[in-house]
Formats: sequence, structure tokens, C-alpha cells
Amino acid sequence: MKDGARAALADWRRRLRGQNGQRYWRSLEELIDSPSFAERLREEFPMIAGACEAAPDRRRFLQLMAASLALAGVGGCGPEPDSRDLIPYVEAPEGVVPSRFRHYATATTLDGFATGVLLAHYMARPIKVDGNPHHPASLGGSSAIMQASVLELYDPHRSQAITRRGEAQSWEQLVAMLIERRRSFAADHGAGLRLLTGAVTSPTLLAQIAALREEWPELRWHQWEPLSRDAVRGAAQQFWGGPVEVIYDFTKADVIVAIESDFLSYAPGHLRYARDFAARRRPAETGVEMSRLYALESTPTLVGAKADHRFVLSPAEIGAAMRFLAARLETSGEAGAAPPAPWLGAVAEDLARHRGRVVVHVGREQPGETHLLAHAINAKLGAVGATVIALEPIEAEPVDHGRSLAALVADMEAGKVETLIMMGVNPAYAAPSTLGFVEALRRVPLSLHLGLYADETAAVAQWHLPMTHEYESWSDARAYDGTATILQPQLRPPATRCSPHRLLAVLAGETQPNDEAILRRYWVGRRGGGDFESFWREALRLGVVPETAARPVEHSPTPPIAAAPVAASGGGSGGTTVLFRPDSALWDGRFANNGWLQELPRAFTQLTWGNAALIAPATAARLGISVEGTEPKTAELIEIKIGDRQVQAPAWVLPGQAPDCVTLTLGFGRRQAGPVGSDIGYDAFALRPGDEAWSGAGATLRRIGARVQLATTQGHHFVAGRDLVREGTLAQYREDPHFLATAASAASLYPEYAYDREAWGMAINLNSCIGCGACVAACQAENNIPVVGKAEVLREREMHWLRVDLYYAGEIDRPRMVFQPVPCMHCEHAPCEVVCPVQATVHDSYGLNVMVYNRCVGTRFCSNNCPYKVRRFNFFDFSGAEGRPRDSWNPIVSVRGRGVMEKCTYCVQRIRTAQIDADREGRNVAEGEVVTACQAACPTQAIVFGDKNNPDSAVSKRKASPLDYVLMEELNTRPRTSYEAEIRNPNPALEPSA
Amino acid sequence: MTALPPSAEIGDHASDVVLAATPSWWWAAFAFSLLLLLVFVVAAAWLFIGGVGVWGIDIPVAWGFAIAEYVWWIALASGGTIVSALFFLTRSRWRASTSRIAETMMICAAAPAGFMPIFHIGRQGFFYWLFPYPNVMGIWPQYRSPLLWDFFALLCYILASILFYYIGLLPDLATVRDRATTRGKQVFYGVLALGWRGAAGHWSHWRGVYLIMAAVMSPMVISVHSVVGLDFAGGLTPGWHSTQFPPYFFFGAVLSGLALVLMLVIPLRRLYRLEAVITPYHLNALGKLLLVGSLMLGYAYAMEAWGPLYGGDVAERTGFLDQISGSFAPSFWARTALNVVIPLLLWFPWVRRSELLLFLISLGVIVGMWLERYVIVLASLSRNYMPAKWGVFYPTLWDWAILAGSIGLFLTLFLLLIRLLPPVAISELREMAHRGGAA
Repeated sequence: MKDGARAALADWRRRLRGQNGQRYWRSLEELIDSPSFAERLREEFPMIAGACEAAPDRRRFLQLMAASLALAGVGGCGPEPDSRDLIPYVEAPEGVVPSRFRHYATATTLDGFATGVLLAHYMARPIKVDGNPHHPASLGGSSAIMQASVLELYDPHRSQAITRRGEAQSWEQLVAMLIERRRSFAADHGAGLRLLTGAVTSPTLLAQIAALREEWPELRWHQWEPLSRDAVRGAAQQFWGGPVEVIYDFTKADVIVAIESDFLSYAPGHLRYARDFAARRRPAETGVEMSRLYALESTPTLVGAKADHRFVLSPAEIGAAMRFLAARLETSGEAGAAPPAPWLGAVAEDLARHRGRVVVHVGREQPGETHLLAHAINAKLGAVGATVIALEPIEAEPVDHGRSLAALVADMEAGKVETLIMMGVNPAYAAPSTLGFVEALRRVPLSLHLGLYADETAAVAQWHLPMTHEYESWSDARAYDGTATILQPQLRPPATRCSPHRLLAVLAGETQPNDEAILRRYWVGRRGGGDFESFWREALRLGVVPETAARPVEHSPTPPIAAAPVAASGGGSGGTTVLFRPDSALWDGRFANNGWLQELPRAFTQLTWGNAALIAPATAARLGISVEGTEPKTAELIEIKIGDRQVQAPAWVLPGQAPDCVTLTLGFGRRQAGPVGSDIGYDAFALRPGDEAWSGAGATLRRIGARVQLATTQGHHFVAGRDLVREGTLAQYREDPHFLATAASAASLYPEYAYDREAWGMAINLNSCIGCGACVAACQAENNIPVVGKAEVLREREMHWLRVDLYYAGEIDRPRMVFQPVPCMHCEHAPCEVVCPVQATVHDSYGLNVMVYNRCVGTRFCSNNCPYKVRRFNFFDFSGAEGRPRDSWNPIVSVRGRGVMEKCTYCVQRIRTAQIDADREGRNVAEGEVVTACQAACPTQAIVFGDKNNPDSAVSKRKASPLDYVLMEELNTRPRTSYEAEIRNPNPALEPSA
Repeated sequence: MTALPPSAEIGDHASDVVLAATPSWWWAAFAFSLLLLLVFVVAAAWLFIGGVGVWGIDIPVAWGFAIAEYVWWIALASGGTIVSALFFLTRSRWRASTSRIAETMMICAAAPAGFMPIFHIGRQGFFYWLFPYPNVMGIWPQYRSPLLWDFFALLCYILASILFYYIGLLPDLATVRDRATTRGKQVFYGVLALGWRGAAGHWSHWRGVYLIMAAVMSPMVISVHSVVGLDFAGGLTPGWHSTQFPPYFFFGAVLSGLALVLMLVIPLRRLYRLEAVITPYHLNALGKLLLVGSLMLGYAYAMEAWGPLYGGDVAERTGFLDQISGSFAPSFWARTALNVVIPLLLWFPWVRRSELLLFLISLGVIVGMWLERYVIVLASLSRNYMPAKWGVFYPTLWDWAILAGSIGLFLTLFLLLIRLLPPVAISELREMAHRGGAA
């Protein structure tokens, strides 16, 4: 294959030689005038091809061009131009209005669970993703991964061609092969046929698989997600005596105990949980009673950073603590055993005081025993049915993923698998290395991989079939609470791309399957009679199918286990425990080729383009690794060894990490992710044991002696004596709401400017910010912010207009952590403006500090003068070098060239759009008409934006809060962006000073 | 004081220097400087092709070598103005022997200083937008920006320097023209001499103009450095935001300008056999001035430390403490030693009489002044108000190439000028010799 490609390239080079003149070409095929180009031209544009072949008559050609342009306008009315049945989200489809965005609802899935999204289309091109406010798992919020999904949609490196052992094949050849195969499936009732998918919630896919099973009863379906929720699923099943999905209501939770929990970061429904959690954490804004959050964890999580009390424990200590809590609450407050740590007694008391209004939430990485104990505590405290709700299972067929894959590999090795069809999974990269998946796969006579990328698995499988993106195909999926969404295509994919539905339909014997028809068939069947068309339109319009939420299970849980097993997990054997954790941006590595996600600074390390081994300061001291930071950030390489497997990783000293626990993030070290994502970081899957998926005990760490550079965007996490983050306790706030206020003089020699129309301002509530980074990704997507790559991040030239700073306070072993999003402050006395010699950054009459790119000559004095350091400079032609398809750029935001300064504009394009509307109607811009990209994305509504001059606006109300403050008040820059101080609610028994 | 040679001898010798065959040391030096100039051309070309990203600058350290070198070169240029104009006004007669070398140096050092701001900006092609010229966009420059005034100050200074230099040259050009023996040289120097005939009216006008130019140049050398200082004083950056910068930069200019004069005069008087004209007396005088400059700068250094430590602003203090103990500490202490400690040796007369020691101290000062600018520009930016965005700067090959190349530009221009034009002020020296004065 490689030789063939090389020969083809050489052939092209030869043909191109001597064609250097003033000749313009649209593709290499046209340039070299190959017959295949003419053929394609004929297929694509029959009229023009005809005109091209006929004697070139300029007049005729122009007529054709004009006609096709006009028709293109007609054709571009919806996501899929040739379908008449697409329903836009809000407006009736009356034709595209240039300069207007239209929104279409669909969903994106992770772990199989759907999160509803709205895609903003501009002239029929999907440009920007946001959460669907109607969708229960989003309520309008989004995650960084969702924000970046649009870049994946446009990724030119996604797989394009059907291949068989590397040779291109046609769709017809594939269909013929599968139809041929059907005979052998029929012969052995499908005994040799296996399906391997990720977690599936799609009712239609389930129905298709069920139909196949009906036809071939011996067919086996395996499900496997590398970042599996086996412990979550297994414990719930054990506790409730059958498959259930447990969801939580954090609005009703007064006390939350989070055991290395992912409810703010990646649990199904985490965006909704974050919204609910934040609603109880705004004492000044809402007056609602504040919840109290305890976090017990070995490695920092977003939940831990928000906790009122965060306890750093080893995995063994977590188990012990949970057993103690369960035992203590079982014996209803009577002192049983003495608590392993004094604070545990206080936590137990606090829990007992809030019966029925508590949540004990356990992260997916914890062993099943901890989950069982948590369920027992929840049940004991009357939380089950109140804050903890068990639903009928959401997943199409809940199975233990680890076992499912192991069974498949065993069968493959035993030669029982004749045909393996893998859909949307990449086991050759992410399966446990001990399992030997790749070797087993080589033995399968016919293996077919359907995937977005020609990845590691595609390289081993015989057939590779490019999969449609979720935004390219019809499908359906269910949310964390069971609500179904019908996914509608936003773009028409190339004909060679195939969806799982289509592949299964071919397998079922259809030769011309149609995704939409498959979906409709299922939903017509499910819905029965009635007016199906209006149901269908409404479901597509809203992005949710009404009345599909899962019902709570009727039966109550089996009695809590009286005596918990004492088997300690993950500890006792000495040595270091390795904790495997998902990467918050790359997930299991599937997003590795997404530049936005690679360059997204991770919450605790601000690390981009690579992963590190997170070790505690105490562990670093034991190994002799310096805790002192270096500039730029470098880290010592360490070798982490479990048994005979080992990886080398840069050691990152992380405050708040448990001693003798090293956290390795999965998802890096991809070998065939594409040009962006391959060979970035180290592959922690290589070390991951097959049996105990989320941790590995008895590891040894060894310094190698070499240092590597790490591309982090924040080198210093201490406030260095400055008044940057303000925080206090609820008790202090109740005593004197103004306890954090300062009285700085606002005197000025200059006359005040009267902002007589809107005065734009932003307020960021530090209580609500969970540091997830969705705003950063949203800003990047909205504002055409280029990805600069690792080398440039190392040079401190990242371009994010909005950053989320992390500050530590307190002891290095167990620090408090505060996240602070920092966009442009839009100072009324902007220091940047007075120093620009060419008036390239000026103030507008609404108080915006605007940047005139065309006028900028790039002196960079403005950046020097910005005390907040929010300005970014195009040191190179970053946008041009990015190689991102031009049609994915937001057309209403300027793309900046080399040598120009840029910064947060408060999404001025959105402001101007709203102002133009308001001007046409002769009114002021109404509250809520302008929503900045960061504000829209924020799952916790930490960011509000609006008119400061309108006393009823949300931003005015926030700014009136006694906790409102601005950064560096003493400089009298008068920022329009202000912050609400973080209020914690510590347990008085544990923090007497509070 | 030493007696000057007879006036005719001065004229003969000085014009011989110009008209005689090019000495071999000149060719060697010129070849070396051309090599460095080539580095300059390549570095500038690469900069224009690649963009300012080829340097090590970043956010927060958005200003780098280009600004440090701009300040450095403009300060070096000031030596010429001080020796030639300021001491002309004070009627210090010793200046005449070295004034031409100092002025030549001034012109040549202003050239790299003029290039640096253009190189520095992100879109070099649009540097002229800093001019207040009528344009269809209807936009004027922003008069509140110190950078704009810096641009004006630099432009005026360079133009005035060239005029001052050229006016001073006129009678000497006529002398060379008169002594030239080939047609080509006669025409060349004749055109440059603008028809100078040595008439009494010429002399009278010339003296008046020269005096006025000296009177204009003297405050201008102070203002240009003050305005450069305002670039920093006007910046809201810890370590910059201080009213002491205008005098501070002038003190630095005095010191570095005089040091460069010394560095050039010491070899040139040997190479051009000008020992009779430029005597140890002159070197001694320059050495004393160098000491004065160093003491003034020492005062500024003390004030630079006083402000942050007494002022109590946490950002200023952190920034300063980082300068003296952080990653910039070697540069900080090196510049302190080279600029204000080692020059204290000049208190000793035997040091001021030793050409070698004077040369080495001057070289140290010039290196020290570069380090000073490096620390001021880069260290302050790296420890800004926002600890989360503290950062560092690592120079790239191209940063160093621009530095080396700018030295090449200076040397090339300087060698050409001292080769083609009289290296000493013939007419002034002859006048002094004629009056029987001692220099």
C-alpha cells in the first residue's frame, strides 16, 4: 500500500513538473487532468461537465454558473439539502437568511449517553455547538468536548475511504461481501458472528440488533468502553437486585459526600448535576440554603476543588472510611468502632443530621465495594427515592464491559469468531494490554472496523469502513435520565461514510439502506398510531422525544449489606498505587486528533499537548524530585513499573495528590490518531492491568534522570501576596455580608464618560466555576482562535482569549483550590488604550475595549500594559498555518493575520447582531438578547453578561452583590468584568474558626 | 596640557588620512564588519519572512531584544552629542580633538537604533502609520502614547544629528577638496563641500549655525532619552511605572555614550597616528567624564532599588526581588558591577592614563548597559501583576543575530565614514593651533 502510494505520488510529481505557470487548480486531479477527475466532475456537476466538454462557450458557461449558484441557495436550506423533512429548532424553514444563524437540535454521546446540543448553522454550515436548553442532561450547558465536536466534524484527517487490507474498496464491494457472508451466518445461526460496540443507548440500534438476533440466534453482541462504568453498573445491579440506572438530585442535597466523584466532570448527566449543584452554592445571589460538600479522594477532581472539606486519602483509606461511615450510620450514631480519623466522626454526624437530604456519590473509578457502601449509606439515610433515584436501565443492554470484552477475546483466541464487526471502538489501542486483543484479532478470518478514523484497530482489522460523525447521520440516543433524542444530520457525509444503523441494515440484508427510514421505522413502531409526522417534527425541533424519560424502579433495594467485606482494595501490598484516570479532554483517546482539546489547559496542571504522571509533594520528596517549579515548566522523567510492564512519564508534582499514589491519564500516546494526535504524551493503557481496571497496586517508581519540557499555560499557582481571589466562609458572610469588600479610591483626573445606552459588563461567580474549561473551548470555537501547537505553547504563545487560572491556598499537601476564569476585563480606564500609538485599541460608547485588527501594527505595548495579561499576539500566521478547513470558521468573526494583537471582545459580533436588531425596532437591547459564548457554554451559569445600565439585568444584580469585587482594584482600571468571591460552607465542628 | 602641532601640519595629516591609500587594517576591519552586516541582512530578511515569532518573545514578555537594543544604541549615540554639542556650549576646548569621531559614532549608532523599532513591530510594513499624515482613513496617531513621542523624538534626533554632523564637516570637506589630486575626489568632496570658499561671510554664518545646532542638540539628547524613559515610566508594569526613568535613561546614555567614544578613540588615535592631536590629556578627560556618568547611574540604581523596597507595592517588590535573586540575577549583578562598581577604578589617575584599562572599562560599560536594558525590558515583563501569567524569555538564534548584525551595521557605517571623511575636526584644531592655544 505504502509503495503504491509512493508510486502514485511520484507519478503526480512527474505530471506536475513543468506546470508551474499561472494556472489555477482546485484539486490535484484537475491539475494533472486525470480521467478520474473528469469522471467525478460529470457525477457531481453534470451540467458543467457537459459544458466543459462541449466547445467552451463563455456565455453558456456563465448562464450555467448563475443557475447553479441560485440553485445552491435553494439547496442550502437545511442540514441535508435534498431532504424535505428537516425541522429547524426555532424558525420555520423559509429559506436561509444570510447573516443569520439557525439552530438545529441533535445530540452527542459519551459513554453512550446523549447530551442534547443545538448546532448553529450559518448559510447551511454548522459552525458552533451549544447545549440544548430543552435537554435534561444539558439545560443549555456544555462541556469542552461538546464544544470541540464541531472541529471533529470538519477534521480533514477523518477516514475517507473503505479499505480492505489497506486497499481502497467501493461501497458496492463491501455490500456484496456482506450479503455473501449472510449465507454462512444463516448456516451456523450467527454463531461465528460477533458485534463489538461501545455503550449503546440507541433504541433503534438495539432494535436492529434484536432483529439480527432473531434471524441468527447464536449471534453475540459485546459492549465495551475502555473507561467503563462497570463498578457503577455492577454495584447498582447488586444493590437493587436488577439492572438500574442511578441518578441524583443535587438540588435537594444539603450534605454531599463525594468519593473521588465525577459528578461535575464526566459522569452521565454531569452537566445537569453541575447546574443543580451550583444552584445550591450561591448564598449571596439566591439566598437558597447552601449545601455542604465533603470530598474524599486520592487525586484531585473538580468536585474536590469545590469541596468545603477535601480529605486526601489513599485508596485503602477511602475504603476504610466508607466502611466506617456505613458501620457508624448503621448503628444509628452509636459509637461503634473508633473512626480511623477524627474528622470522619464529624462527617458521619453531619450526614446523620440531614436524613433524606444527603447524597453520597462515588466516582466510576472506585471499586464496587465502595459503591455498595455508598448505596447502603444513602439508603440508610433515607436518600434513596429522595435525592438518589434508581431508574429502569437506560443502556440498551447493560453488561459488564470488562467481562464482555474478555469473553470476546477468549472466543477469538479459541477460533470461535468467524466474523467480527467493531463499531466505534478502538480496542487495539485501549484494550488492556494483558488481554492480547491485537493478536486475537489477527486470527479472526473476517474483521470489519467501522470508525471515525483509520486508527490502531483499523490498521489490524481486515476491513475498515469510515463512520459517519454523529452530526452527519440519523440516529437516536438516551440521556442520563432516559430521555431520548433523535439525532439529525447537520451535514451530508460523503457517500463512503456509513453509520452503524446502515451497516447493521446491510447485515440484515438491505442493499440500499436509508438511515432516516430506519429511524422512522423504529419510531413509527414504537409510537403506534396518532399523527406521526407532527410528533416527528416536534421531536426533531426540540431535540427531545417527549415522555421517554425512564421510570423509577418500583422495587426497593435489597437490604443493605450488614457487614461489609473487609477485603482492602488496592493497598496493603506496599509500593505505589497507580491510579488510571480519563483525560478530561481526550477522554479515552478518541479525541486525540482534535487540536482544540489537545490544547485545552487541563484543570489542575494547565497542561496541554501531553500528559504527566501526577505525584504528591511527599512522593516527590521521597524520590528526590524537586518540588520547585522551573521556567519554562520541565519535569523529570520517571519510570513506573507494575510487574513487567512499564511506562516512562514526566513527573508532575501536584499539590493535593495522595502520597504514594501516582495518577496516570489515559488517552495519550496514540499511535495512529492522525497527524494532530499521534505520538503525544505517553500511553498509560500500556500499563493498565486487565483485571483491576482503574488502579494498579505495587508499582515502583524510578527516576530516569532526564528532563522533558511540558507545555503548561500557567507556571505559577500561588497568588504571591496579591488580592486576586477572595474567599470566605458562610458564617463570615452571614455575620457581615460586606466582610470582603474593600474601599479603594476611584478618583480620576479625567471627566467621567456617560454611557447613555447599554453599558456591557460581565460578572463571574467564583462559587459556581468548577474549572471544567467549557468556556475556554467555547470561546475558541466562537472566535476563530487558532491552535498553535506544542512548540508555541512552550514558548508561551497560546492564543486562548479566556483562561481559567487555578490558585492554591493553604498547605501544599492538602491545599484549597480556586478556579478563576479570566477574560478581558474591558476596563473603563483601560491601560492598553493609552499606549497604542496608532489607535488600534479604543473604547466604544458602550464601554467595550475594542481591538481594530486592521489598524494594529503590533507594537505589543498594550499587552505589556495590561495588568491582567489577557492580550494575545499573532507571533506567526497561526490561523493560516492551522490547516483547519476554511468552512469551519465562524464567518462573522475576523480571522486575524500575523503581527496583530487580539483579545476577548465580549463576543462583540453577538452584541452587534443584537444591537442591529434593536436599532431596527428603535429600542434598547433587551436583557438576555446577548449571550457570550463562554456564558452560553458554562454548565453552572457562573458567567453572566449584560447591560450594567439596566438595573434589572442579571449582571447588575450580580454586581450589586456585597461579594462582588474586581481584580487589582488599586490600579483604578475599573474593570467591567467583576467576580463574586467564593464562599465556602465548612462544618463548624471541623473548622472552629469558621 | 600638551601643545598642538602647527596648524598646517594638522591639515596635511588629516587630509592625508582621507586621501592616502586605504590602510590594510581598515580592509581587515571592513571585511569583518561586512560579515556582521551580512548577518544583519539575513536576520532582517528572515524576520520579515517569518514574523516576529522567530524571536523568543512571548506573552507576557512581549518586548525583547529589539527594544533593549533600541535603547542601547540610542544611548550609545548620545556620546557623540554630549562630547560634541554639550561641551561645545561649555567652550571646553579639549573636545575638538575627539568631536569628529564622537559625531561619526553618533550617526552610525543612530542607524541601528532607527531600525530596531521597525523590526520590533508585528507588521513592519505599516510602521509609517505612526506618522501624523493626512490619510483617507481619517485616522491620526494616538497622541497619548509614549511610543508615538518616542518615534518623533527619535526621528528629530536622527535628523538633527545628521545635520549637525554635516554642517560641522563643511570647512573640512573643502580642505580635502582643495588637497585632492584626482578628478574624482575633487568632484566628490567638492559636491559635498557645497561650494565652501572660506569667505569671511561663510565662516560667520557657519559659526552661527553651528552654535545654534549645538544649542538645539544639547537639550535634544536629554529629551530623546527622557522620552525613551517615558516608554517605560508610562507603562503599567511593575518595574517600569516609575518617574525616575527619564533621568535614569539620560544618565545611562551619558555613561554608555562616553564609553563608546573612548572605545573608538583609543584604537583610532594609534591607527590614524593622531597621537599628537588626541593626547593622553583627552583620554584622561574622557575617563573623568566616564566616572561622572557612572556615579550618576549609580544614583539611579540606588533609586531603582529604593522605590520598590520603600513603596510597599507588592508587585513592585516581588518584581525587584526577583531581579536580584531570580533568573535575571546574573544579568542584574553583572550590569551593576560593570556599570557602577568597576568604573570606580577611574578615581585613580593611573587608571585613566592606561589606554588598556580605559578600553576595558569602556567595553565593560557597553556590555553592562546592554544587560541593564535587557533586565529592565524583560525582567519587569516576566514578573507582572498577574502571577498566573508570569513567564520567561529565552532568546533564539535570531535574537542574537539581530544583535550581532546591528553591531555590523554600526561598524560598517563607521568605517566608511571615517575612511571617506576627515576623522578629526581640521578647521577647529587649526584654529586653535593658530591661536597658539593648547588643547
